[in-house]
Amino acid sequence: MEKSLRMYEACAGSSAIRQLRMLGERLSGRRVVHVNSTRVGGGVAEILAWMVPLMRDLGLDAGWEVIRGDTDFYSVTKSIHNGLQGFPINISQKGWATYHATNEMNAETLRPVLEDADIVVIHDPQPAALLQLCGGRRGKWVWRAHIDISHPYLPVWKALRGIVKGYDASIFSMPQFALPLPHPQYLIAPSIDPLSEKNMDLSAEELEAVRVDFGLDPERPLLVQVSRFDRFKDPIGVIEAYRLVKKVQPVQLVLAGGGATDDPEGAEVLQEVMDAAKDDPDIHVLLLPPDAHRTINALQRAADVVIQKSLREGFGLTVTEGLWKGKPVIGGDTGGIRKQVVDYHTGFLVNTPEGAAHRIRFLLYHREKMRSMGEKAREFVREHFLLTRHLREYLILFHSILSGSSEPRIYV
Amino acid sequence: MTPFVVMDCVLLTRMSGLPEAASLRELRERIAVCGVNVLYHHFHETLLRPSFDYPDYHNDFAVWAKLQLSDPVLAERFGILDPYSFSSLEELRSAMLDIIDERINSIPVARAAPRGGEFYFFEADTVVFDTGDRISEPAELAPAVARMTTGSVFFHFIEAQRREPIGMDDFSAWLLRFGDETQACRDALQSIDTGFLTLSELRKEICERLAAHCL
Repeated sequence: MEKSLRMYEACAGSSAIRQLRMLGERLSGRRVVHVNSTRVGGGVAEILAWMVPLMRDLGLDAGWEVIRGDTDFYSVTKSIHNGLQGFPINISQKGWATYHATNEMNAETLRPVLEDADIVVIHDPQPAALLQLCGGRRGKWVWRAHIDISHPYLPVWKALRGIVKGYDASIFSMPQFALPLPHPQYLIAPSIDPLSEKNMDLSAEELEAVRVDFGLDPERPLLVQVSRFDRFKDPIGVIEAYRLVKKVQPVQLVLAGGGATDDPEGAEVLQEVMDAAKDDPDIHVLLLPPDAHRTINALQRAADVVIQKSLREGFGLTVTEGLWKGKPVIGGDTGGIRKQVVDYHTGFLVNTPEGAAHRIRFLLYHREKMRSMGEKAREFVREHFLLTRHLREYLILFHSILSGSSEPRIYV
Repeated sequence: MTPFVVMDCVLLTRMSGLPEAASLRELRERIAVCGVNVLYHHFHETLLRPSFDYPDYHNDFAVWAKLQLSDPVLAERFGILDPYSFSSLEELRSAMLDIIDERINSIPVARAAPRGGEFYFFEADTVVFDTGDRISEPAELAPAVARMTTGSVFFHFIEAQRREPIGMDDFSAWLLRFGDETQACRDALQSIDTGFLTLSELRKEICERLAAHCL
């Protein structure tokens, strides 16, 4: 079923929806085209799957184009991706030639649509070279970087910078992810879809079924961390924290993640976690399939405290998900977690297993405080981190770049 | 009587182009040269920005001094600055530089932020639009405010103080046209201390005062 704004009125509030409609009315009929490299799988496709229908619902003539490429192209773009994230990867001239040739091939079919659009939003590096290949473009072009490029491998960034500097604007998720470019750089944080399987309300029966499935005791507090089995997520540190809490409180721990078997290091970390957890029936290490969204949702809702004790993190959307479920989050003092977790308001930032254990004990002892922090956390997410805010910021960007004004204030 | 025209505003943050500041000295260097829109954003527009935070102070410089420089003295001095009490943003800039200079001179080593705690300088694009809603009578004001977005509350109650009549919110300015009968109501609105409220809390406070004091 195609998403419509009406569906979000109950959770985002009618005034937020009305505000979107008013912003949308003033962009009615504007042709907006998003371009990325995949229709399914990955965070960008997930965003576009709701954003494009909702923009249409607002009256924009929104479309979504996907570029095509062969394995050589995706191998190069994977290297570009890794290089932008700081891995020292040399991309050969042949590799860049493949990148440009694939963009040229896609430009042949997409050029009429892209040159005619009022706004083109190019997501990530894969289709970025389309800009140079659409010389007859009449609209504004925006490059949306979904990844952290703050510490890139310089040869890769130098080559890509030459491509993206020609855009009219770019968008980053956090200021820490950006690098200087000769055009306005907007900041749009990620968001969650409150109606997705990962975040929708679930019945008490469904939560109970998940507890039964995984052998969780409803009488004892439950700590949950959902993340890949990756050393940067510090699952071993979470087990250490759990053990420190268990000395004084009868608690249970769930470490739930997926996809580790495809990744040699992930499998290694999973084995380390299993070894660390062995002989303790109250540590539940769950390797879940990639589509286990409802199960993860249920586990987060069944939790007393949600943990995201990362040592390094991007934005950390699992934190937002936990907060949306009314849970205070114990988060690692890093990356986007710092933006979301505020001591005594939405959870606690910690640096060590000892710190995590201390804060978990605090929350389990101060139940009323835990409840009120959880309520506040949910309201913060409702106001600022649902997809309605994300959509609103795109509309502001469209108004701003279409106005052509250099003034910070635009009356529409 | 002219009806009250309900406006709304929304904001999108962007990088200012200035390098981030990792120490008090760097903060001073950047504040000395930044555009006034940067100062305006970090003092005036923080309430409109998406955030999980519920800080002690409404201006970003005070929050940064407290959380990243661990300098409560500087935080308190920045925190008490009322941007509406300055006739211009240049005056505000000058006051900030004086505070920083005094602080640098009074401590042996200028403080620095931990890695990852740098101050980023932003500015914002704001879109303002007419909601189409009109309020004809003072008695309609409280229910209308209750339905307003936080952007409308910001525009009419916070930012209005920079427009004519300077220092007055739009609701009070409109009620003034109804004469003495709205005096108590205007007094009640103008005595709200907005320095510690989120926009949602401010909306609630306005509605309660309108209901309790007059209309």
